[in-house]
Amino acid sequence: MQQEQLQRLQQLLGEQDYIADRSIVMSVYLAMTLRKPLLIEGPAGVGKTEIAKVMARALDTDLIRLQCYEGLDANMALYEWNYQRQLLHLKLDENSTRSLEDREASIFGEQFLLKRPLLQALTHPKAPVLLIDELDRADEEFEAFLLEILSEWQITIPEIGSIRAEEPPYVILTGNRTRELSDAVRRRCFYLWIDYPPYEKELSIVRNKVPDVDAELAGQMCRFMELVRQQKLEKIPGVAETLDWARALAALHQDHLEPSMVEETLGLIFKDRNDVRLVRESLTDFLGRLGIQAKEMKTAEESPTAAN
Amino acid sequence: MLPDSSLIEIPSSKRKSETRFDDLALRREFSANVVGFCRWLRQQGSNVSAPEQMDALKALDAIDLLEEEDFYWSLRTTLAKSNREQEIFDEHFRRFWYVWDKADQLSFRDEEETEAPTVIIDDRPRKQKYLTINDWLNNADQASEEQEAAGYSPFEVVTERDFSDFFAQDLDEVARLINEIGKSLAVRFSRRTKASRQRGPLDLRRTMRSSLRRGGELLDLAHRERKRQKLKLVLLCDVSKSMDLYSRFLIQFLYAFQSVYRRIETFVFSTSLHRVTEILQTEDLEEALNLMSVTVPDWSGGTKIGESFGEFVEQYALSLLNPGTVVLIISDGWDTGDVDLLGESMRIMKSRSRSVIWLNPLMGNPDYRPSTQGMQAALPYIDILASAHNLSSLRRLVRQLAKVQRGRQLRIDMTPRYGT
Repeated sequence: MQQEQLQRLQQLLGEQDYIADRSIVMSVYLAMTLRKPLLIEGPAGVGKTEIAKVMARALDTDLIRLQCYEGLDANMALYEWNYQRQLLHLKLDENSTRSLEDREASIFGEQFLLKRPLLQALTHPKAPVLLIDELDRADEEFEAFLLEILSEWQITIPEIGSIRAEEPPYVILTGNRTRELSDAVRRRCFYLWIDYPPYEKELSIVRNKVPDVDAELAGQMCRFMELVRQQKLEKIPGVAETLDWARALAALHQDHLEPSMVEETLGLIFKDRNDVRLVRESLTDFLGRLGIQAKEMKTAEESPTAAN
Repeated sequence: MLPDSSLIEIPSSKRKSETRFDDLALRREFSANVVGFCRWLRQQGSNVSAPEQMDALKALDAIDLLEEEDFYWSLRTTLAKSNREQEIFDEHFRRFWYVWDKADQLSFRDEEETEAPTVIIDDRPRKQKYLTINDWLNNADQASEEQEAAGYSPFEVVTERDFSDFFAQDLDEVARLINEIGKSLAVRFSRRTKASRQRGPLDLRRTMRSSLRRGGELLDLAHRERKRQKLKLVLLCDVSKSMDLYSRFLIQFLYAFQSVYRRIETFVFSTSLHRVTEILQTEDLEEALNLMSVTVPDWSGGTKIGESFGEFVEQYALSLLNPGTVVLIISDGWDTGDVDLLGESMRIMKSRSRSVIWLNPLMGNPDYRPSTQGMQAALPYIDILASAHNLSSLRRLVRQLAKVQRGRQLRIDMTPRYGT
């Protein structure tokens, strides 16, 4: 029975164009079955966030995303009052004879409540997928606050009372290791580390996501990416960059890596000025190691595309 | 990162297992062994807690136990919560389950890998140099009681003395003082400051509340203030031979600091770099020192500052350094390594962090000039160069760090100070 479920999950992930190896499938499966938050760490651009999206589609439910940043506090993540509406309401109510208590109660009702992602996730009719993205960017205070919510599935709004989730959300947390997350968070989650994909996996991702890219070109690109990721770079490109590059080259109707074209499109792959410079300087060497120099000369002689 | 598939060869034959066990018996067997496995992981330094053990057991119910790969991934997902724990997990998974496999008389392959996991032999020779400080640590409680009973307070006497001059009997007091300084530093750092002046974005929530008291008229505007960012510390501590006398005290200092103040990453280096944050966080000091001396292979060896810093920049600078980070380097700058790499690494550290502080115990000597090649290469990128050779210099460091915390730009303190 478990095998069926697992296979179904893998299939669903596959249908969403997500190439998942067994470790990913197992982690997602266990997080879903045992209803535990799943903490996913790994370098930028390896598809951590994507898992939450795929999971939402696989479960046929909504994805609610909380993007973390430094200074994010409980108010911004949980709820806020709609002050404009409250003020307007007070203004319109100015001449009424109602007591102060009544008026206060009326403007702190649910119709003036703006639900931020966490409250949305707790009050969603069907258990959604809650993506808490880049938690390591938020402050430690926020992390602590989050722990409470994740274990209780309940919050208290002073003016309204306690709100408890009927259907606790499926939670995915991601981190880039900008900062070490606390042990407390790790202990409460299942853990998955995703690394840069090996060549074969990246190739199948590219071919899945960018179907119109030439097969041979895709292979060369993935080899190239494999090679540059071994260099000392400020920002090592992820799969997202490979895909951008593949789309661009497909749009340019390339069928192999051509040095000049690579040089012109370096900006798609490398997001740091020094990295671009470094790769440009050793580009001939890199391409040579992929055997691309020879290929280029050969295609130049017999290239049918040159006429276009 | 992922282990190769040969690792995942646990309960060895699916068919055999099916004939030997009914499902319930199999599960019971597995459960008992998962508990044992968790205990073993804990002995290996992995921080597996009781709820996690429960998770692992629950996961067993949710998977097909005879699928070896699923078994491996489900335990890994539930029990190994960081890269370090995953490493420990991978190192010991096969060893453990393989032995279990054998105990159940199922087929097995490699003869040499049959050592029983419960017998953990650490046969690495302990560094001789370490014994004294360990002996002292082992007897620390006893000794301090005696001192208290005698009403003896060497406080003033020891404050100015160079760490290298201490006798064994002073060590407890020094340790206590270092602890105290470390903790006061931590408290100072974590205290949240709140200015009385009102500025910053409007706090509409409070504004609305106060206006209600006046019948809905907006008379006072409440303001919010951004919480001040706490500093993060990254410590790079030289544990090479020439620093021998100092680094132990400094590590004690770091330990005291870290036990209260958690936003800290600690590395030690000699010929290469080692991250010891977790060691310092999870063990008690004695154990931490022990662990460090066995995990850092070149403890008390030579120094390659350039290479070590290069390693730091390459592996950690991107993720650990940001405008809120203070880099604290503790080294005498005696270097046998790559000077250019040292300079370049310092440049990157400086450009990515709030400030770079270099503690050099040799600065305690009035005749000292930072003239070694290594120090010369590093100097342009140092915000504060200070000594850390005795307790009063550690105190001074606390004050200097507090200034960095308040956001004041600091000038290089080039005058070696000694005494007060």
